[in-house]
Amino acid sequence: MKFFTFLLLPFIIFAQSNNPDVIIRNLKNEFNKVKDYSVDVNIKVDVSFLKVPEMNAKIYFKQPDKIHIQSEGFAMLPRDGLYTSPLSFLKNDYTAIYVRDEIIDGSNASVIKIIPLNDKGDLVLTTMWIDQKRNVILKVESTTKTNGTFTMDLNYGDNKYPLPSSMLFVFNAERSKLTQFDRNDENSKKKKPQMISGKVYISYSNYVVNKGLPDSLFEQKGKNNSNISSDVH
Amino acid sequence: MIKLINIELYKIFKKWRTYIGFIAIAILIPMIEFAISFEGTRSLNFVTREIQQTFIFVGNLLNTYFVSYLILNSLAIHIPFLITLVAGDLLAGEATAGTYRILITRPISRFEIVTSKFIAGMIYTFLLILWLAVISLGLGYFLFGTGELIVLKSGSIIVLAKNDIFWRFLLAYGFALLSMGVVASLAFLFSSLVENAIGPIITTMAIIIIFLIISAINIDIFQSIKPYLFTSYMNTWSSFFDNPIDTTEIIKSVSILAAHIIVFFGFTLFIFRQKDILT
Repeated sequence: MKFFTFLLLPFIIFAQSNNPDVIIRNLKNEFNKVKDYSVDVNIKVDVSFLKVPEMNAKIYFKQPDKIHIQSEGFAMLPRDGLYTSPLSFLKNDYTAIYVRDEIIDGSNASVIKIIPLNDKGDLVLTTMWIDQKRNVILKVESTTKTNGTFTMDLNYGDNKYPLPSSMLFVFNAERSKLTQFDRNDENSKKKKPQMISGKVYISYSNYVVNKGLPDSLFEQKGKNNSNISSDVH
Repeated sequence: MIKLINIELYKIFKKWRTYIGFIAIAILIPMIEFAISFEGTRSLNFVTREIQQTFIFVGNLLNTYFVSYLILNSLAIHIPFLITLVAGDLLAGEATAGTYRILITRPISRFEIVTSKFIAGMIYTFLLILWLAVISLGLGYFLFGTGELIVLKSGSIIVLAKNDIFWRFLLAYGFALLSMGVVASLAFLFSSLVENAIGPIITTMAIIIIFLIISAINIDIFQSIKPYLFTSYMNTWSSFFDNPIDTTEIIKSVSILAAHIIVFFGFTLFIFRQKDILT
């Protein structure tokens, strides 16, 4: 009997749950080990109508949803793709449905669909690929009310905490909506709405975790600062 | 020739109307920059509100480059008037003052007279554009500092890195000088035809306004005329803020504007050499 238990031990330890609530609870518990962090980000934007140089910024995060961004120069970060916490997808009331297991970049991931129960947030439907071994999100696919659809592919490298080392954010949006600066521009009014796809590569480095960031940091205002709520969806 | 140019410059800067352009810029630009400074990022946020729904903006976009770009964009129609005030008076002014005959009796050729006046007019144009650049960028630097430049064009957004902007401004102001050179040479041409400076000033401005209106109206027949109007190429300075820069478009515009200057100067020279001086 002991022999069989020994043989089954790895399967018992790494047992994959099919219960979405358990999967999400484990994900939350893992992330809650992070009380606060700061990280340097490098942003590369690849959008046909948007020509911007590589940008650098520093992001500060404090539980539950405080975010502060600082940049020496100008930086533009995707509002939906500013991944600071997996909890930002799970703030409002929702129903979670386990769909299946899939292999993502060699890792086994459970596919969970998150359906909001009210109209409070901007998210209509979110699908998350969760690695139950590390309790991290590997991929997110989401449809929003106002900003079209987006996907996030997250890599974690050797991070001790469940924080990404790089992310590819792909979004689809209506081009005319993003580039119509002049309300009287007759040419842009005549054009049919054109959906465009854009990519934003974000690499995260120099994580400083659980060092006790002061609340005052998240109240700083100035031309090189931006304070936002993590519930950007 | 240099002595002649110096004399012409002395004549230009002796007249107080020459300083109207410099005073106007010295009043208008600070007014615009202080107003923008007072308004803060509100106006910038207004034009970028749609893109800010998708992207979070961090950093100083309201800086001297953005403000100078805005000023250069909005003054393209008004600066020509300040140029014509002086260029329209270069030859007609001599007729009005009755000094044509004295000038012609000096031991200098008519070619030298026209050329020296033309070069003096171009120096005035250069100084006015230089003044515009210094006031825009200089005052903007003290009020807003420097930073990246966001260029909002119909259908695209370009953000230029801080260290990739100043040279573009130098070239854009250089191009503006060429554009204003066309205006100056046109006013100079009309100046050779009449004996009062008011005529060249009004005629040049009327031509520029008519050309700009034709270019702006979205009717097929006007759009087909557009490539033949020199005003269509005067806004090409903004191409220096594209990424990548459309050099073919810039070379084409520079060639067309330079050709206009040469043709207008050539006609002026021809007219002045044939001119029967009666005043």
